[in-house]
Formats: sequence, structure tokens, C-alpha cells
Amino acid sequence: MGGSRVAISQVAKSFGETKALREVNFSASAGEIHAIVGENGSGKSTLAKIMSGIVIPDAGTVAVNGRTVTSPSEALGNGIATVFQEVLVAEGASIADNVFIGTQGLWRSKVSRREQNRRSAELLESLIGHPIDPTAMVESLSLADRQWVTIARALIRSPQVIIFDESTAALDLPGAARLYAEMERLRSDGVCVIVVTHRIAELTTFADRATVLRDGADVGVLSGDEITESRLIELMTGVAAKGGLAAGTQHHRRLSTHPQEKIVLRAEGLVAVPGAEPSDFELRSGEIVGFAGLDGQGQAEFLQALTGVRPTAAGTVAALGPEGEFLPINSLAGAVDAKVSYISGDRRKEGIFPNLSIAENFGMPLYRKHRRGGLIDRTAIGAKFKDMSNTLKLRAGAPSNPITSLSGGNQQKVLIGRELAQQPRVVALNDPARGVDVRTKRELYAQLDTLAGSGAGVIYLSTEIDELIGLCDRVAVFRDGALLGWVVGQQITSDRILAGMFGHLESDFDVEKAMVEQS
Amino acid sequence: MKPQSPFGRLTNRTSYTFAAWGLLIVLLVVCSIRAPYLFTASGIGGLLVSAGPLVLIVMGLTVTALVGSGVDLSAGPLMIFINVTLVRVLFDNQIGSPAVVFAWALGIGVVIQVVQAIVITVARIEPVIVTLSAFLALSGINLVILTQPEGQAPRWLAEWGAGRSILAPMTIVLLVAIVGWWAFSRSPLFTSIRLVGSNQRTAFVSGVPVAAVRIVAHGVSGLLIGAGGLAYTGQIASGNPTQGGTYTLAAITALVLGGISLAGGRGGVLGSIPGAIAVTLISFTLTTFSLGTLASFVVQLSYGLILVLALLISVIIPAVWRKRKEAMA
Repeated sequence: MGGSRVAISQVAKSFGETKALREVNFSASAGEIHAIVGENGSGKSTLAKIMSGIVIPDAGTVAVNGRTVTSPSEALGNGIATVFQEVLVAEGASIADNVFIGTQGLWRSKVSRREQNRRSAELLESLIGHPIDPTAMVESLSLADRQWVTIARALIRSPQVIIFDESTAALDLPGAARLYAEMERLRSDGVCVIVVTHRIAELTTFADRATVLRDGADVGVLSGDEITESRLIELMTGVAAKGGLAAGTQHHRRLSTHPQEKIVLRAEGLVAVPGAEPSDFELRSGEIVGFAGLDGQGQAEFLQALTGVRPTAAGTVAALGPEGEFLPINSLAGAVDAKVSYISGDRRKEGIFPNLSIAENFGMPLYRKHRRGGLIDRTAIGAKFKDMSNTLKLRAGAPSNPITSLSGGNQQKVLIGRELAQQPRVVALNDPARGVDVRTKRELYAQLDTLAGSGAGVIYLSTEIDELIGLCDRVAVFRDGALLGWVVGQQITSDRILAGMFGHLESDFDVEKAMVEQS
Repeated sequence: MKPQSPFGRLTNRTSYTFAAWGLLIVLLVVCSIRAPYLFTASGIGGLLVSAGPLVLIVMGLTVTALVGSGVDLSAGPLMIFINVTLVRVLFDNQIGSPAVVFAWALGIGVVIQVVQAIVITVARIEPVIVTLSAFLALSGINLVILTQPEGQAPRWLAEWGAGRSILAPMTIVLLVAIVGWWAFSRSPLFTSIRLVGSNQRTAFVSGVPVAAVRIVAHGVSGLLIGAGGLAYTGQIASGNPTQGGTYTLAAITALVLGGISLAGGRGGVLGSIPGAIAVTLISFTLTTFSLGTLASFVVQLSYGLILVLALLISVIIPAVWRKRKEAMA
């Protein structure tokens, strides 16, 4: 191991009332993969932002390559590049421009346009695995490929320190595997690789050291074989893991004892992605159905078509109404009338009103129902908010604070609470736990469990197979834009689902081999 | 990803300009019937003389819109400010050498735009509020400096107002501006401007000096508005303090018609220049109908209706086109 590249001591940072970091010490060396783990709100993203020069600490010292950084350009000049959790691309600009953004001088270009195109095409092909046109607009790419653009942006600068802040969140499994391979290559080149993540299961296989944060302070550094899921969870939550917890992070078992099983949502011949095969789908009351598929195989579009968020290309969708009749769903208004809720994982884009307060974000759809003589009944909504924040264990300041003062996981809780307050019959969640920590995830699963127990039908789309196991009664696997088939009950294992994602629902399929061929 | 033919890529890249070009073609067809003399050498020269100032300030507005400052309301009064100060400070004192006049016009344009940019980036006040304040302040000052249309431009500048042939001075001014833009659009600065405009946060975390880029972009805009002030002074060969508001509105119309995104990052002069010429042609076409005293009201009414119609069509046609393509696939 080389010298210390990053040295942080006694760093503190507050945002208004919220103490993001109390007192953090952290150091990372050249040629190691160093993970920063912690729950939501533990301050790990703030720490990454401090190292990248975006956030200036209130106290303490930050040295990267022996120098302090006070702005992103200074950090980049010091050889530290960051890949952020949000997929930050400049829409309306070409892919090559998005890769080389910030590397060019204001007056004279350091790399010619032709060279920019050539290098970004080469780098992205090696990262994504298939060729792309560097002069195309960046918005022509899928979310996962845009994330690769932000990764290429960091790599193109040949940094000495590279920070990955939840960078696998938008990637599918083979993509994440390719990124881990890239990290190992960087390590062998002597780069200091810092990984901020909540995917602790994957972390255990490749991190050299792991610093755990809890409530804005570093609570331990593990190295080598000490990095195990149970040790990490113990440090993150501050409680020793009890027996079963260590076995897995999300093996939560629902008591499915619902005999009635009436159909609450039905689709016939549904085509969500133009050109795909038509699919039939049924959701029964009291069940939790998982949606799985490789990235961009149409599962998200199918979910949106089911909930009226996206127009269908063909086929019909209908939901059970209050009197046992089926109401057609062909628009969002129809879905609202039929009490079908859609919760997006892309909070920033489709979920929150960033200018409004926590309480307003929660109460938005309730304003229509809770009125007294034409005025909004704020007391009733306030009471509902209190209920919601108790049941979902919301960790927030005053309800009048802006929603953006909350961490990602807590923002998601507000959005879920908002939908649940409308007593939906069908709840469809599109990867809601992206970038959410283990504890919040567990609270979320328990909520969904209770919800299904009360007779609602739940659809849960996840990019992490682990999430579906133990939560879902049935898992629908998608491929080529259509519903390929089902994995049911005890057969829901990560091997079976993964095999299905590659188009093989038969039980004797070799997943390992397919993974190798894919990447 | 689907491979794309060079033609397909070009039409994709320039689809924002379709409304402006479409309207321009329609107007030219109308003019060929109502006023065929427009298609003579002096007709084209004359058209470019009347379009010149608007084209130049719309180019300036394009830069500020690209960098994410939205519509620059101050452009019209700033152009007039340059016009009235040229008359009062230079021409009234018999100063008329081209070097001084150019330096004065371009310099004032740059200084006032850069001051606005500093207020926007350093004090972080919404651009629309800053440019509105500048609009109001400059409109007032203009009437203090010059209470009524008066003054006399030096002969070389007054020549700009004569559009006797296609290669009249105004045509050359516009060609220089367009060639300058072509070079500017290939500079790394231009890329930075578009990147800052399309996503300021991405640009900031990627190490782009956002404040500097925005200030420089406003400076470039000031340069073009300064040139617009010169062109306007040449066009009327004197000073006129009253036309600022009209020019701002016409320029915004041309900008929107030209498909420039007011949210930043998208668009270019391929849309805004035909937009500006189309706006000029609208009032020209209307003068071929004898409307008498109603003329100015009808012009404004037409601006509004044509703007909405052109935008509606430019939204509807691509949507229908895409539907058809999807149905065929």
C-alpha cells in the first residue's frame, strides 16, 4: 500500500438544524479500495461531497494529496474525481461533451473534438460493453448508460483518487460486476478507490477496508476478512446482530394467509413497449408481486402502463372498483379513481416537489378530499402526517422544513406515506429502495406487508434481486419488453430469478456461465 | 443504439429551427405575391437593413438564453441606450471616427451586460428580475438623455441605412456577425456555455468555472447588442429614445420562434436568425395591406397569433410524425 492520499480529521458539518457530520476521521491510501458505509442520514454522502470540494466543512481539516480543497475544480485539479449518486448529465449536449465536461479550458481546447469523440467512444465501449455514438445526445441513452457516462467522466481525467458515491444504484447486475472489475483494475494501477455504498453484500467481496459511519461520526474501520455483513450491520445500526439477521439482510417473511384472493388488477394483451409481445397479468388482493428483469427489458414500462402513468401500445388494463366492477385504466386520472397508486424510485424527477415543505409534499393529493367549506382542513392533514411519520419512523425536523432537507430514504418514506394515506387498493412501487439503507428498507417491507395484509395488492419492481426474496409471493420476470414468466413461492431464489432474467426459466440453467458471456 | 444517417442526425439536431424556417418560407411566398419588388437586389438589401438591428440583438439574446439566464428583457433598451448616448455624447460633440464609435457601442454593451451578469451570479438574484430592472432603468435614462428623436449620425454610419444592393454595408455587418458566430460556436467556450445552461449543477461539480462562463456569455451578448445599437443608429441615422420596449418584445418573439430553449442549453442562431427575419417580414407584409392607423395594433396582434400558431404546429407535427413512425415500426 502506498502513502495516504486522503486524510480527514475532526470534520464537522451542519445544514441548518441538521448535524450531518459531528466529528469524522477518515483516511485512505493509494492502491486500496476503501468503502464508506452507513445508513441513510449517517453522513456518508456529505463526507464524499466534502472530499470533492462541493461542501465546505464547518470545522476540521481535509487534505487530498496533502492539500485542502474548497471547490470542485480545485478537487479535480488535485487529482480527485467523483461519480455522484444522482445521474448528473447535461441534457442537450452530446455524450462526448458530457464525458469531457470541465476538462477543457475556457478559451482554448486541450483535446481536439475528434480526439474527444474517439476517446469517449473507446472508454464507453469498454465500460458498457457495446459501441455507442459519442456525438449522439446524452438523453438518447438509458439511465444505466447515462450513469456510465458519469463514470467515464471521472475516469477520463486519470484521477489519483476516485470516489464512487452509490454509483451502482442505476446499474443492473452485470453492469455492477463490470464496475467492480474496473475498480479492481484501478486499484492495481495504484489509484485510491473510495466507494460510498449501501450494497453491503457486494462490498464484502472486494473492499480492502471499510469505514462505518453512524449519526455523523466514524464508528469503526474494518479491514480484510473483518468485513462481513453481520459486522457491518452491527456497526451501522449500533446493535449486535441477532441470530437470523446475519444470515441475510432482507429475508423478511410475510405471513400469507389470505384465502379470499380476489383479482384487484388485470391486464389483457398488454403491450407497454412498442413491438413487444402482448402479455396478460393478474394481481390478487393481499399479495405482493415482484417485477424483475435486466435493465431496460420493459419491466418499468409495464409497471407504468399498469398504473396509467404511461399510455399502452396495445391491450387493456382494468382495476377492481368499489362495487366489484372493473374500471378501465388508461390514464392517471383513471388510476386515481380506481385507487391505483404508483410510487417512483426516481424521487428527484417524478416524486417530490423540491420547493415545498415535508408536510406539503405529503398532503398534496389529500387537499382535494380534506376540505371544510372549500378550505383545506389542515388539522386533519396534520393528524394524518403525524400518523404517517410515526408508522414509517420518519427521521425529520419540523414538518415545515423543505423536503430537500431530508435524506433520500426519508424523502421516499414521505412519498410512500403520501400514497398510503389515500388508502389505495393497488400500490405499484418502481424501485423505491434505490439508495435507501438497510434499516429503512426493513421498515418499508414491514409497511408493505401490513398493507397487503389489509387486502391491497402490491407490485414491487426492484433492480436488486435480494429485495424480492422473502418479500414477494410471486415474481414476474421480464425480457424483451414482455412478461416472460413467473417464479413462485419457495422457488424465489436469486439463482432462479437471475436465470429468468437471461431468458431461462427452466431450473437447470447455469447462471455463472451466462454472466461471463454477458460481460 | 440505432445507427443514424448523417441526414437523420442533421434533421434531429436542427429540428428546433423548423418553426422559424417554415414561417419564413410562408412569409416569403406571401411577399412574392403581395410585394414582388422584395426579390430585387435593393429589395433584399432593404429587408436586411430593417432586420439588421433585430438580428443582432436576437443573436445576443441567444447567448444569454443558452447559458441559462432565460430571456434578457434589457436587450431593447440597452440597444437604445447605446443609440442615444452615441448621439448625445459623441455625435453632438462632432466625434465620429469609426474606431471611437465602435469602441463606445461595443464597450457599453459589454459593460452593462457584465454588470448584470455579476449581479446574477454573485448576488444570486433571478436573471429575469435583474434584466427587468435593467429594462426599466435604461428605458427611463434613455428618455432623460434624449427627450425626443433627434441628432445626426456621421456619414459612414448613415450609409448603413441605405440598402441599395445586396452587398450594402448592413449585409456585410450581418455576414461578419454570422462568421464570428460560426467561429464562436466551435470554441470550447461555446461548449461550456451550453453545458452550464443545460445543467448548471453538473457543470459545477465537473469543475467548469460556472460564474466565469456566465459572465463571459453575458459579455458576448453585450458585444452583439452593442453591434445591434450601431446597426440601429445606422438604420435611422439619428437617435430615437422610444423604441426599446418594442425591440425587446420583437426580440423575444424571434427567440421563441427560433426554438431556443428558455430553460437553457438548447438552440442556436440557425433558429433565431430566421426567427428575427420572419418577425421583420411580418410587419413588412402587413404594410402591403393598407391598414392606416390600425397598422401598429395589427402588427402586435399578428406577432402574438403567429407565435402561438407556429409553436403549436412545431409541437404537433413532430408528435404526429413520431406516432406514424412508431405505427410503422
